[in-house]
Amino acid sequence: MTIADAEGAPRPALEAARLPDGVVRPDEGRDWVADLAGSGARHEEALRELRGLLVRACRHQVWHLRGQLPGVGAVVIEELVEGAADDALVAVLARLDTFEGRSRFTTWAYKFGVLHAANEVRRRAWATREVCLPDDAVWTDRAPGPEHLAEAADLASAVASALAVALTPYQRRIAVALLLDHVPIDVLADRLGTTRGALYKTLSVARTRIRHHLTATGHLSPASGETP
Amino acid sequence: MTSTPRPLTPEDVRALTLPTEPWLSCEDCFDLADRYAEALVEDPGTRALPEMLVHLHACAACAEEAESLIRLVAADAGVDPAPALARLHG
Repeated sequence: MTIADAEGAPRPALEAARLPDGVVRPDEGRDWVADLAGSGARHEEALRELRGLLVRACRHQVWHLRGQLPGVGAVVIEELVEGAADDALVAVLARLDTFEGRSRFTTWAYKFGVLHAANEVRRRAWATREVCLPDDAVWTDRAPGPEHLAEAADLASAVASALAVALTPYQRRIAVALLLDHVPIDVLADRLGTTRGALYKTLSVARTRIRHHLTATGHLSPASGETP
Repeated sequence: MTSTPRPLTPEDVRALTLPTEPWLSCEDCFDLADRYAEALVEDPGTRALPEMLVHLHACAACAEEAESLIRLVAADAGVDPAPALARLHG
């Protein structure tokens, strides 16, 4: 896999991870936890292979989100991959004792690489962008057109009303930033000095309040939870 | 001072009204992501961990990461990720 022609080049094909000896399934024949927690040559070898897996996961994720980084060249992309892999390696080793064997170790490790790479891409993509959290915006349904059903317009109007009256100002700012302005949740968490989990909880409460409002106004069926 | 009215698109309406039950936090989603990705690649119709699908439909960041994990797992298993991804996005 190469990213030498990164700018504007097609995304590299995702190939199965390969060990130096050509073994495709990196979980086979290795006790990852024991080797990584141990010492000596097996530890060093396991560490090297783990970092290789994390680079693969990070590279895949960075390419997956490549569209968020227009104008960023191959060298910077690769620096981003390597940095995220280093961070992910630290995270995997710190949580090694929480691996329960419910999935393959490689899958468990990949998710750390994917998470760290995604965070890096989103952070870089928004590094120079301001995140506004206005609470004075007014929402309307789109002007009805020939293609626009009256029911849909009515629902949009009800949701706009729910945004205005059913949410606290903080819930409204978070919902608008995440869902309407599409600010990545990690970026918003960084800017507000909070966590992704806390923001998602706020968003869930906001959605629940909107749904309750819509149920009360007859726009959402209490039995099915669907719009009538 | 009040801003100019902003239109709510059908996609905005859908995003604002998505169900969030059964509840799952982003942290719990991360903890389960490896098991779920493997289960979905092995059987795209799996009914395991239904709370994961609800969360992944409601959380764009977790969904982006789950998609990559599914692609990596599928590549290692030598199978087509498309059915699992279709379930994820369905």
